[in-house]
Amino acid sequence: MAEVLKVENLSVSFYTPGGEVQAVRNVSFSLERGEVLAIVGESGCGKSVLCRSIMGLLPRTARVKSGSITAGDLEITGCRERELCRLRGKLFSMVFQDPMTALDPTMTIGEQIAEAVRVHRRELTGTALRQRVAELMALVGIDRPEERMGLYPHSFSGGMRQRSVLAIALAGDPAILFADEPTTALDVTIQAQILDLLRDIQQKLGTATVFVTHDLGVVARAADRVAVMYAGKIVETGAVEEIFYDPRHPYTWGLLRSLPALSRGREELYTIPGMPPTLLNPPRGDAFACRNPYALAIDYEEEPPMFRITDTHFAATWLLDERAPRIDPPVGGGDCG
Amino acid sequence: MRQHSLIMYGGKKLLTFILSVFILSVTVFYVARLAPGDPLVSYYGDRVEKMSPEERFLAEEKLGLHDPIHVQYVRWLSNAARGELGVSFKYKMDAAEVVAGRAGNTLLLGGVGFALLFVLSLLLGTLCAWREDSLMDRVICRVGTAASCIPEFWLSLVLILVFSVALRWLPSSGAYSIGREGGAADRIVHLILPMTVVVGSHLWYYAYMVRNRILEETRADYVLLARSKGLTRSAVLFRHCLRGVMPSYLSLMAVSVPHVLGGTYIVETVFSYPGLGTLSYESARYKDYDLLMLLCILSGALVILCSIIAQVINEKIDPRLRSGGEAESREVTEL
Repeated sequence: MAEVLKVENLSVSFYTPGGEVQAVRNVSFSLERGEVLAIVGESGCGKSVLCRSIMGLLPRTARVKSGSITAGDLEITGCRERELCRLRGKLFSMVFQDPMTALDPTMTIGEQIAEAVRVHRRELTGTALRQRVAELMALVGIDRPEERMGLYPHSFSGGMRQRSVLAIALAGDPAILFADEPTTALDVTIQAQILDLLRDIQQKLGTATVFVTHDLGVVARAADRVAVMYAGKIVETGAVEEIFYDPRHPYTWGLLRSLPALSRGREELYTIPGMPPTLLNPPRGDAFACRNPYALAIDYEEEPPMFRITDTHFAATWLLDERAPRIDPPVGGGDCG
Repeated sequence: MRQHSLIMYGGKKLLTFILSVFILSVTVFYVARLAPGDPLVSYYGDRVEKMSPEERFLAEEKLGLHDPIHVQYVRWLSNAARGELGVSFKYKMDAAEVVAGRAGNTLLLGGVGFALLFVLSLLLGTLCAWREDSLMDRVICRVGTAASCIPEFWLSLVLILVFSVALRWLPSSGAYSIGREGGAADRIVHLILPMTVVVGSHLWYYAYMVRNRILEETRADYVLLARSKGLTRSAVLFRHCLRGVMPSYLSLMAVSVPHVLGGTYIVETVFSYPGLGTLSYESARYKDYDLLMLLCILSGALVILCSIIAQVINEKIDPRLRSGGEAESREVTEL
């Protein structure tokens, strides 16, 4: 399969009055045509910043420090704002976490979708444009689009708004779609519908999707491949079965153990002890070491490299070193799924 | 049904307006009469000093100044209701006529000043927001904040000193040169300095509001979505952000009318510009009661009207607050 996006050794930092916050540290991953990659991690581990840095939509205080992002033959890190503008919507676009605030409240849904269509297809006007907008609305499952084009966002429910945001994101027929926690702000019942919709559309259009989430349940439902992020780094990556049935990183174990489905019958939910480290001055060695019940002495000294488990499965933990003691993972294997 | 509620809405606003103007008229009437000063001076001029107490008594009697204030007020009100707004003591003319003769000048200064202020502060604020935190933005912010603290009368005097006295480029007072009442160029030359003060002293206050409102708007989530669909920064700014800012800016400008009006009156006085400001000042100073009443009520009515307009704009322009549209009012909750 062809690669549509390749990120290599990407580091992104925020320059705040308190110092440099290393939000993304040395992240590499690739995305293949038509694939769904889930990026999983706790709040504040750099998932959203990663997406926004690829789209060139970082806030003013943040900067890509090093690394490269390539789409096909195109080097994106070197692009000027003008070129990035041309790429946004067409090469990649984004669905946001909170549909309640992502739409301009003073413009009708139809106008906002039409605007997204016209950015890349200037020639569309009048009925042709209306038709395309209606088509997009129908694609994301909004019934009676002709009637609802003229409505303002405030008369849409959360699910309908998220569908509209998705329609906007799909307007330019992008090769890559970033979905930044698209279901977090929605009701549980609607979450499932939106997830299925994303999956449907992804299969229908073949859009490669980067799915950012902190919910492993969502991952199991939607993703082909998973990258687990912790403190700005990818600590484990693999096919979705590998992550669920054969997780190797202690942080992934922790995440899986804290799934409500796995705590059934127990008194309380499992939680990973401690707090994520501040990225202002990341700790030496493995950032997860101090929360890791299986930490080795070397975890406090040196950062673990990515160990290869299979051709698709990699994890950054010293436990995979041949000198490390054998540990029975607390999750994975048969009891999951 | 909807027409009915519209009439109710309009009626309520009208009632508010009438009540406010009424309260204003009572207040001004009492304050003017209770304040110290001699109304006869404006009627008889210097001759008052030579009048005997009996003559004074008769003169005051003739002008109806001996009745209790509430009687005087009721008399004024019933006359006003018939359209007789009284006579100016000083000009010995109908007060309405005196005001009509001067209103044009004030409308020119205030109206054009207001329009300029409206456009310039929007431009300046947008420019600063566009180049947020750049050197230009920071310099303009500092200078603007300092400049907006300069009082109008002082700024007027400094401008007169520099451009009229020292450089002799521009006239220091009046609305036109004597003997050349009709020339447009002449009028414009006389307007430059007062207009500069009217616009300059308020410009930054509103520009800064625009700047901050736009910046607030550019931090909104929808900007990220608009940018991610491929719109350029300027397209997002002009098509989305400014649109979000306009309702509050319009209502702000409606509220600003009293500020600008007050500023115009001060500027008129300093520049001896023959408008309503100088007239108000004179009538208050010389106790030209009827003229003062008319001027206060005119200015007051304008101010109250503008606040009501601002309120209506606020309620109406934001689609979220708009009610009763054809399709909009229907809540769409199904998925």
